[in-house]
Amino acid sequence: MASSQHVLLSPAELAYLHASLSLTPPIRPDGRSPTQFRPLVAETGILPGTNGSARICFADGTEAIVGVKAEVERTAQRPGEETVFLEEGGGGDGDGDDDDDEEGETGAQGDRRKGEASWVEMTVEIPGLRDDDSGTAFLSAMLSEALLADGEFVKRLWINRRFHWKLYLDIILISPPLSYPLPLLSLTTHLALLSTRLPRLKSEGDEDPFFDDDWAAAPYLFPRSSSSSATAATNTTATKQPATATRPPITLLVMAFGNNIIFDPSKEELAVADVALAVSVTSSNSSSNSSGDGENDEAASAGGRSLRLLSIRTIDPPSRLTPPGVPNAANAAYGAAAALGTQKMLEARTAETEAVEGVWRAPRGGAKRMVLGALVQKTLERGGVVDEVLDALEGVDLG
Amino acid sequence: MTDRRRINGPAGATIPPIFDDQESQEPKYSKGRSRAPNASRKMYLKTGVTPSASGSAYLEIETSATPDVSGLKLSCSVHGPRSLPRSAPFSPHIVLSTHVKYAPFATKQRRGYLRDPSERDLSIHLETALRGAIIADRWPKSGVDIIISIIEGDQDREASKLQGDEVWDMMNALSGCITVAAAALADAGIDCVDTIAGGVAALVQDAGDDSTPSIVIDPLPSDHEKVLAACCIAYMPTRDEVTNLWFRGDLPASDMDLYTTLVEKGIQASKNANRVLVNCLSETLE
Amino acid sequence: MPITILPPRSSRPINSNNNSRLPQEDASSSEESDSDSGGGVDLDGDVPMRPRQQVRTTFQARPPPRDLASAVVTPGEVITDDPQWMRGHGTYVAPQTTAIVSSVAGTVTRTNKLLSVRPLRARYTPEVGDLVVGRVVEVQARRWRVDVGSTQLAALPLSAINLPGGILRKRTETDELQIRTFFAEGDLVVAEVQQLFGDGGAVLHTRSLKYGKLRNGVFVAVSGMGGGGGVVRSRRQVWTMDAANGGGQVDVVLGVNGYVWISKHVETPEAEATAAGGSITNMEESLSATVYSSQNDRIEVETMREIARLRGVVMALVENGLRVDEEMVIKGYHEAVEMAMVSPEGPDDIYLGGEKGQQLAAALTGA
Repeated sequence: MASSQHVLLSPAELAYLHASLSLTPPIRPDGRSPTQFRPLVAETGILPGTNGSARICFADGTEAIVGVKAEVERTAQRPGEETVFLEEGGGGDGDGDDDDDEEGETGAQGDRRKGEASWVEMTVEIPGLRDDDSGTAFLSAMLSEALLADGEFVKRLWINRRFHWKLYLDIILISPPLSYPLPLLSLTTHLALLSTRLPRLKSEGDEDPFFDDDWAAAPYLFPRSSSSSATAATNTTATKQPATATRPPITLLVMAFGNNIIFDPSKEELAVADVALAVSVTSSNSSSNSSGDGENDEAASAGGRSLRLLSIRTIDPPSRLTPPGVPNAANAAYGAAAALGTQKMLEARTAETEAVEGVWRAPRGGAKRMVLGALVQKTLERGGVVDEVLDALEGVDLG
Repeated sequence: MTDRRRINGPAGATIPPIFDDQESQEPKYSKGRSRAPNASRKMYLKTGVTPSASGSAYLEIETSATPDVSGLKLSCSVHGPRSLPRSAPFSPHIVLSTHVKYAPFATKQRRGYLRDPSERDLSIHLETALRGAIIADRWPKSGVDIIISIIEGDQDREASKLQGDEVWDMMNALSGCITVAAAALADAGIDCVDTIAGGVAALVQDAGDDSTPSIVIDPLPSDHEKVLAACCIAYMPTRDEVTNLWFRGDLPASDMDLYTTLVEKGIQASKNANRVLVNCLSETLE
Repeated sequence: MPITILPPRSSRPINSNNNSRLPQEDASSSEESDSDSGGGVDLDGDVPMRPRQQVRTTFQARPPPRDLASAVVTPGEVITDDPQWMRGHGTYVAPQTTAIVSSVAGTVTRTNKLLSVRPLRARYTPEVGDLVVGRVVEVQARRWRVDVGSTQLAALPLSAINLPGGILRKRTETDELQIRTFFAEGDLVVAEVQQLFGDGGAVLHTRSLKYGKLRNGVFVAVSGMGGGGGVVRSRRQVWTMDAANGGGQVDVVLGVNGYVWISKHVETPEAEATAAGGSITNMEESLSATVYSSQNDRIEVETMREIARLRGVVMALVENGLRVDEEMVIKGYHEAVEMAMVSPEGPDDIYLGGEKGQQLAAALTGA
């Protein structure tokens, strides 16, 4: 029932992993460097029946598919808000993708576009786990939390004051969960959202919406920035505002082991982790955010994206549930004769308090705040892992 | 297929109207926080409230000054350690299972009897927080159930917009759950490395979009215009360790100081709660 | 570069193993002693499958007494309707006929008059005498249940292990009570299949100095490869090799069931005893001293690095569909060491995933 799955490893294996991961630099069982991800195969637009889809397959065989479906839904009218009648509508500026309009208006009459968390529905399915399994609920809460945290994403689903898009994100892990699937699901969701397109709105104002049925004209939910030259050529027709280059969030799994910080840990590595965090980050170059405008500009001039921290969750590492090793001194099966009862008990007690080299002991207690701080810092540092991952994801062709 | 035997309401969601009794687009109470930014609300904690359970505790957080805002009321019972069922596989540790449930009437929107995903999510957070505190290998082959009912949530009945608030309420609820569960675990006599308590800190904006955000501890979302970010921390003061960290919001990644301060404030809130917890436990012994 | 994202390949995902499967097929089937050269095996089929084509060419190239009457058949395909044949594993006889029909997808093998089909991919089927690596998943009153990657958990009775305390002795009630001090849940053991049950379950034993609990290393499961799959039954499943870059000696245990253990070489008690000039009893004592220990010895950084490299070699072999045996592992390891020498990261670069693994596999098959 823990947030991450339990793995059965022998105390000797755990002790070995412990020893090799606490070296500087650590030796990971699969030879990766601490910041290296498992190689993966990615493709988008694999499901023509969806608004956006993606598939990612890790080299170890874990594979996930995400499909995004959008439906038009009537927005529930709340009392206290200005009630909208059809006659009254006629702003004339509704063009489906009027982000720049919105920015212009923000100062004048407040944010006209509103979004609600209920407009996004996310389901995660993992084979072998029940639908109502807490681990699945935790995963989907984590992924949707990252998406909804800044409240900017749902505003993209606004059509007019009476209608909105309802977005269904269905995340399916195809293979059995060979490792904690969070990074895989997050990256797949990211790509699926990047490839998501909504039909172009033809109606105006608050009237019942109707859309352009030319799919080629449908704009992307996340317009690609003109700067990313690798893929811009194919979609320049669809992008209208090159100013915003906000990206869907990505959630990375980071674990700390002693002084080492390790990204994308495998199942075995997670089994000895001191602490594991899921850090959700997004990147934006838009200046519409109220806080930290100066920093954004600064970051943009520094030649890159500005990252924003969206959410952090502690993942319960399975290490606390691992069987402890028995040091030779306290092992009844060690040595020719079994030790006397009382003496053995004494030895066992010292074994509980003292760490013996080469013997695995499950970690106890929590993490120092310095360690947690270092984990987050390492993730967010400029030109670090997040930047490279985002760069690599941008290179994926949106089919 | 429509139901033709009954007279149905209109399709689509509607929300019952609330009529304004005065000339009021204005809220009736003055928004704003009456406490200092570093002050937590008063807290009442008592252990041993459910005699039939191995351990139990009740936590109540002071009702806010404004009349229609209720405080958090939590009751926690611990059953165990008891032996695992025969069918369960061998475990060298205690098997911890946590169960958090809102009472159906605890929030403005009625909750069902089945646990919804957000309640499951809370139980996982709670489990993560407690797992670090319990000395699990003292109790091999046994299990313990921790059951928390949220009798009343932090809810502002007057707030018309639901948006986002429930999320921040969840953090408040989680921090309460951690504290009350720690008290109940101590009451049940289960070995812990330290007392653990939860605390929440938030980055809030009070005066318009352009104002400077400030950090407050133990925030009530209804007191503030906008909550930009919040974090809930489970902290053990003696060991100076964090077992659960849950952050949510929107912070520029370049500004690590803001994040660090937020976490520090969360730890401070948790220390406040911890004092109540320790006092309560030592009173029980007298 | 922390992340590599590859475009999808046309047909199968990365861990496909359809390429260069041939050496394995060849090696494994050459051990079968097929004597009868009589026909009856339906080699005709309109599905042009590459493996079959190639197998057939090897079959024609061989002299008649050692022919390989193997071909790929699919479930429901009639292998023969000649009544002289007996049906074996992977086949059934349709009612009221004499036709032997395949029930799995795999290659036809013949032993005298017995026709059986070996599935291309299947879980491990234990055979008496197999050396296996297994993980204890359950402890019962007088035996352990061990996961060996088979359809059934294997059983390791308390009476089939060497009990500590000197010479071979009978098990006592005390041993039964402290059964978990020998092997507990999660422990890895290397054992031999002693006996088989009708339902496919196996009984293991560890009554030898070679067998027992595994320490000082890492575990790799080479699973889903079928019939012992990536790991093929060969002359030696266990060997000690010299590691490069000052890594000392490394032990490799290739369980026939596809579970692999790579660890630092520790002098066997036998060798220690002879070095110390000890007697037989001493030997027994030192045996019991280490055989149930779960405490690792001190392992040098260089050794750990080479162990990780070997693990990478095994994974690369599996991901690229090559057979895993002593020859391939050693060859692959030397290749990997040389690759690291010329790699920009230097000889400490032990990463062998993704493209590097493919490079390694290409170098091995090309050679």
